[in-house]
Amino acid sequence: MSSVATVQHAGVHEVHHEHHHHETFISKYVFSQDHKMISKQFLVTGIIWAIIGGLFSVIFRLQLGFPDTTFPWLEDLLGHWAAGGKLKPEFYYALVTMHGTILVFFVLTAGLSGTFANYLIPLQIGARDMASPMLNMLSYWFFFLASIIMFASLFVQTGPASGGWTIYPPLSALGDASSGAVVGMDYWLVSMAMFIISSLLGGLNYITTILSMRTKGMSMTRLPLTVWALLFTAILGVLSFPVLFSGVILLLFDRNLGTSFYLSDIVIAGKILPNEGGSAILFQHLFWFLGHPEVYIIALPAMGISSEIISVNSRKPIFGYMAMVGSLFAICTLAFLVWAHHMFVTGMNPFLGSVFVLLTLLIAVPSAIKVFNWLTTLWRGNIRFTPGMLFSIGFVSLFISGGLTGIFLGNSALDLHLHDTYFVIAHFHIVMGVASIFGMLAGIYHWFPKMFGRYMNNTLAYIHFWVTIVGAYLIFWPMHYEGLAGMPRRYYDYSGWNSFKMFAGLNEFISFVVIIVFAVQLLFVFNFFYSMYKGRKVTNQNPWQSNTLEWTAPIHPGHGNWPGEIPEVYRGAYEYSKDGKEFIPQNVPVGEEETKGH
Amino acid sequence: MSTTAIPTNTKWWNGGRSPFNVSYGKVMMWYFLMSDAFTFGAFLISYGTIRFSVNHWADPNHVFSAFPFAGHANLPLAFVSLMTFILIFSSVTMVLAVHEGHRMNRKGVEKYMILTILGGLAFLSCQAWEWTHLITGDHAVLVNGQIEHWGTTVSKNPWGPMVMFEGKEVATPGPIAFGGYFFGITGFHGFHVFSGVIINIIMLIKTRLGHFDQRGHYEMIEKAGLYWHFVDLVWVFVFLCFYLI
Amino acid sequence: MSNAVSSPEITFPHEHPGGTKRIWKVFWILSVITIIELAIGLTIYNIHKEPNPNATLVLAFKGMVCILTLAKAYYIVSVFMHLGDEIRNMIMTVVVPLCLFIWFLLAFLWDGDSTKHLRNTDAHSRPAQVEQVHQPAAVDKDAKK
Repeated sequence: MSSVATVQHAGVHEVHHEHHHHETFISKYVFSQDHKMISKQFLVTGIIWAIIGGLFSVIFRLQLGFPDTTFPWLEDLLGHWAAGGKLKPEFYYALVTMHGTILVFFVLTAGLSGTFANYLIPLQIGARDMASPMLNMLSYWFFFLASIIMFASLFVQTGPASGGWTIYPPLSALGDASSGAVVGMDYWLVSMAMFIISSLLGGLNYITTILSMRTKGMSMTRLPLTVWALLFTAILGVLSFPVLFSGVILLLFDRNLGTSFYLSDIVIAGKILPNEGGSAILFQHLFWFLGHPEVYIIALPAMGISSEIISVNSRKPIFGYMAMVGSLFAICTLAFLVWAHHMFVTGMNPFLGSVFVLLTLLIAVPSAIKVFNWLTTLWRGNIRFTPGMLFSIGFVSLFISGGLTGIFLGNSALDLHLHDTYFVIAHFHIVMGVASIFGMLAGIYHWFPKMFGRYMNNTLAYIHFWVTIVGAYLIFWPMHYEGLAGMPRRYYDYSGWNSFKMFAGLNEFISFVVIIVFAVQLLFVFNFFYSMYKGRKVTNQNPWQSNTLEWTAPIHPGHGNWPGEIPEVYRGAYEYSKDGKEFIPQNVPVGEEETKGH
Repeated sequence: MSTTAIPTNTKWWNGGRSPFNVSYGKVMMWYFLMSDAFTFGAFLISYGTIRFSVNHWADPNHVFSAFPFAGHANLPLAFVSLMTFILIFSSVTMVLAVHEGHRMNRKGVEKYMILTILGGLAFLSCQAWEWTHLITGDHAVLVNGQIEHWGTTVSKNPWGPMVMFEGKEVATPGPIAFGGYFFGITGFHGFHVFSGVIINIIMLIKTRLGHFDQRGHYEMIEKAGLYWHFVDLVWVFVFLCFYLI
Repeated sequence: MSNAVSSPEITFPHEHPGGTKRIWKVFWILSVITIIELAIGLTIYNIHKEPNPNATLVLAFKGMVCILTLAKAYYIVSVFMHLGDEIRNMIMTVVVPLCLFIWFLLAFLWDGDSTKHLRNTDAHSRPAQVEQVHQPAAVDKDAKK
């Protein structure tokens, strides 16, 4: 038997070997099956979406901050949606909805895990490519299709979907409910179905590749934490997106075929609808069965990336590797069990709600373990404040600030007061929005030299970091205060209420900061594209002196990643400052004198 | 069995091999099926949720009591049993095709693939008949004090609670979601059967062309088989949820 | 019998059992279970015909069908899909995530039941008044018109 085994081992590395003889522009840049190119496609598409989604937030923040001012240029940009330079309420809701949809799905799901899972998994586990490069390519193109459909929905006569990114029926199920619910909603649903197919194809590939394609010696406990995080992200996606898929299909039926899955007892303009017996709460259950894991689909890659970067740039092993993996696993499992904590005020059974409170608060435990381990990794480290490192530390900071308010919201008694206020907005923007953006930016700064063979400009990066972190806190910190005072979400104009008049100045201030922070993101985009062509060239194969396998590949790896044999792995990913050596890459064999560890 | 020959101290997770001793394609197929199980699971569970949330639900023994060419005979469960057996039988022929594939017996694979495809088509025909019968069926329903005649569709459910009307028992409209879920879920399952038949036809053609003999293994047949059995598995639960309870 | 390895990451080639006896055995098991299920289904049908159907008995029968269905699922997955022949790692990677269905099912049905209660009591503002509707015996509705 063992002879059979050896023969097959020799074979595993030769599978995807050297099949890139005559690459045309199309096969190299468009329908590429190279995981590195697909990753860059995801990244660039994600950045474009981030600019669009960010711009939307600037526009609706203008309305919130300056409700009495008109901006004539808005009419040039949005046409009849901003006639006379004043944003229409219908389009305000469309902007909020699209901002959420774009950032949550297109930027922080596809853009974040699409980019880094594709780029890092094969390189860090020592594989020539994904298990199925073909499906990987299809994954991007389904995402592209979803993007096109969503983008097209911005231009339909009645406007894009405007029922909130959670598309709760009946608002999303009835064309009469709002202008965005006419055609825009159908575009949204079809786009999301394409997106789910894309994420499924990607996720299947990521899981299978991580489990089956690791190089010799790369045991599960030697995997870099990025790979672990991406594995759990993919598991979350593969098991929870189908539930949204079902929910979306049923919603499409309700919209177009006259079924009553979610509709019951509805009167519109004095007319009683024939729909009977459906349950709107059911949709919320189905939505949040995806929706909550989705939060971790967004957050886990950022956690993995930060863990890796913090360890590398503290020149210390990650503190408590197994605890980090265990807490990732715990978060992944709990993510499936807590969905209804988004629904405490919907009319769900309150006793069931209390079970969800218990499960929800359990998440605090693994999250706290992770935070503790990041801080102890930094503790007395020989810290290098590279831009990637700064953004990783920023991630930890934001994760703590946002996570703490999660404990408030997870408690159903407090949630009755805080639900649908700016407190919620502040919470999830900090903990999963901005924090994950920080993780993504950290990853881009850290792996940019590997991706493009050039460095990004550090000065611009430092400006980017400091303005963004200070700006993020200035934007979202005051929102806690507004939310505790009862200021609700999703209002077009607060100036009509006496109780919220006192926040006019604060809202103006927040909008002002939003514009500055958005401008600085454009600086990053400039830095990104400028450095891609004009940045300082990478001359050192391992510029961050990192242990993981991607830095053993050539500066410009071809399709197949390593020109010769795939390196074999002899040690864990985090052996920094050990035995007087600053770092020991994973492919260095264990010496005889070496102290045992990891 | 494969497990008997494997030494117990094999380090499955140390890299350089599949920890499952299974090719990546089959692993992916399994994970895809799990994902699909969650799609179907979500459908069936939301069906259960709606059913739990209303006071009355259509009794399957009354709704599904017809049989082709049997006129108005009351035969509860008979037709759906036929469909179930067709699907079980096509599952057996599929697993036999996989078995012949292991033995590298092209003729055997072809024979059983044809039988499987026929089974799938037979199932689809049955479903077409059942749908037609339900949609075009004509049932007296008391709506706003008047008798109307309804078929079972996604937006009409003539199987509501009975009331007395002019000295006769007559049904009132039932929860609309019944038809939606029935047609939605059996339709989604039927779509899976349909795509399974298409996949099987492609596999049959590839077998005919000798592609698998050239490759030296019939793993594609196994993967198609996994999909086909999954379709059967889903039917087991659809059968339970719509016809039995 | 062939020991052809279809993929290089397979360490030990699968050895496949020679005969088809096991397949046919499972076919008979599945058929018998289905027939039992049908018998139970018809029993429930007949219980419902009575003027005062015993709800507990019906529930017990329905529980039995559910268990029988799970048994069928076990045989299909284990023998037809050959999962039973794989090594433990493979079985676990498929079976363990499916445990998520337990809480998925439980929470959804629980809340569905709660919705019914809310509807019947106008959100606890009045006592429940559900007239016990049961479908009277097979009046053949097709034949009516």
